[in-house]
Amino acid sequence: MPVIRDILLSLKSREVLRRQGFRGGSRVRPEIKSLITEILATVKKTHLLEPAVAYEIYLIAGMSPDRISLEGGKAIEGPLLAAIFPEAKELAVIIATIGPGLEKQVTDYTSRGQHLRGTLLDGIGSAAVDSLIPQALKSIADGVSSRGYEISSPVVPGMPGFPLTEQWNLLELAKAKEIGVSLTASGVMVPQKSTSMVIGIGPKMTRWTQAEVCRRCSLKETCPYRVTE
Amino acid sequence: MAADLASTLADLKEAEVLKIVKDRLGAGEEPLKILDDARRGMEVVGKRFADSEYFIPDLVYSGEILKVVTDLVKPKLTKEVGTKKLGKVVFGTVAGDIHDIGKDIVVFMLDVNGFEVYDLGVDVPAQKFVDKIKESGAPIVGLSGFLTLAFDSMKETVEAMKAAGLRDKVKVMIGGGQITDEVRKYTGADAFGKDAMAGVALAKKWIGAG
Ligand code: B12
Repeated sequence: MPVIRDILLSLKSREVLRRQGFRGGSRVRPEIKSLITEILATVKKTHLLEPAVAYEIYLIAGMSPDRISLEGGKAIEGPLLAAIFPEAKELAVIIATIGPGLEKQVTDYTSRGQHLRGTLLDGIGSAAVDSLIPQALKSIADGVSSRGYEISSPVVPGMPGFPLTEQWNLLELAKAKEIGVSLTASGVMVPQKSTSMVIGIGPKMTRWTQAEVCRRCSLKETCPYRVTE
Repeated sequence: MAADLASTLADLKEAEVLKIVKDRLGAGEEPLKILDDARRGMEVVGKRFADSEYFIPDLVYSGEILKVVTDLVKPKLTKEVGTKKLGKVVFGTVAGDIHDIGKDIVVFMLDVNGFEVYDLGVDVPAQKFVDKIKESGAPIVGLSGFLTLAFDSMKETVEAMKAAGLRDKVKVMIGGGQITDEVRKYTGADAFGKDAMAGVALAKKWIGAG
């Protein structure tokens, strides 16, 4: 059961700003820019980010419109999966987190009345999760390439056609306990700055961009954080 | 001529704002007039935010500046005026949802805009809202939630207010990333706000100060 911890996150200021709702071309005040730089330095110095990824690769035993059956009698429900990568031979279930430290610090800031710092650090945490994903995917892609396989782009529960109720199943399948990620009774991951996803693996896999994912989202018209091309 | 407080605050020039306020207080100016100018500045901030000229961090920054201004002016106000709030608001993220930051921003903006906010935190059961409304007599309730499942919790919370005989005594607003008017109808809330400033505007309207 692979766990990756040795990840160096380099946060691009463009991504950090996107998570604050700034869009390309919008004016960022120098005070806010310098505060972001300062907080990023603190994040680094105090090791607030503890990125960890747990994943497991399963052979696909069969596909139906509503579910993908895996080896060992396991399965993942949701019509999106079979529709989006019918060509997959294997499937990786991935849980990634930046750990609990950052969100504790956010609460600490806001409870001390430092709301701007709290807000900016929260956005930095989301950007850190964003930047963790490609690194995790690259490491999995490198692993499967020796078998002549590629990976697809990720599919995320919560997208239309992949219900959030599958979170319990995915956390089990990826053995998320190993990296300290669990679910609340209502199915929210703790630490909150965590993400779950599934990728298809096979000889030739389809890939898509974040802008395409945003185009399919129900919030595509209004989301302040959407990515456009 | 001294720089104008409202426009300096609207431009988020923190150091200059504080200097103006200190100078005006030093000159013995009426503290309420200073607060009034600051409030006008905040209205411009709200407008710039609505026009996508300002973003969430700018908004929170303006709140922090206003907070410092208020703290400077407060000691000069008479006791009665100094502690008088616009109105009470009970606020929280509904049961099952633990999302914090969006709620915190709305609570903070309500607070700096003169409301007394009872922040119940996250994952708040319906009964806790009911108890706090009864205890505080707050006429306004804000429910935050950004998961789809929060819609049911919001509906249950509004229903719990009904069952406790409080529904016609309070105005309920809801908000969070996914809230639309359809969701508002489903939950039985009175209004929804898409961001913190919308929340402040609703609260002001409901207490007749908007
Ligand atoms: C950033 C983000 C993340 C980040 C950080 C999450 C976190 N909890 O910290 C990361 C990348 C980690 C993440 C992960 C996930 N996310 Co997410 N995420 C978002 C996103 C883009 C923004 C949320 C946010 O932090 N906003 C910033 C704050 C400042 O804004 P806000 O909370 O909306 O609050 C503002 C307003 O809404 C308003 N407001 C808030 N409350 C109130 C109340 C009142 C009364 C008023 C008037 C106004 C008001 O004022 C605030 C300030 O202006 C939303 C989409 C969106 N546009 O909202 C999805 C979203 C919430 N996520 C979603 C999903 C599905 C997930 C995942 C399950 C995906 C996955 N499988 O990995 C995970 C779950 C994580 C977990 N812990 O369980 C879905 C939820 C869908 C659902 N069915 O419930 C959303 C809606 C996206 C989508 N359309 O699919 N996510």
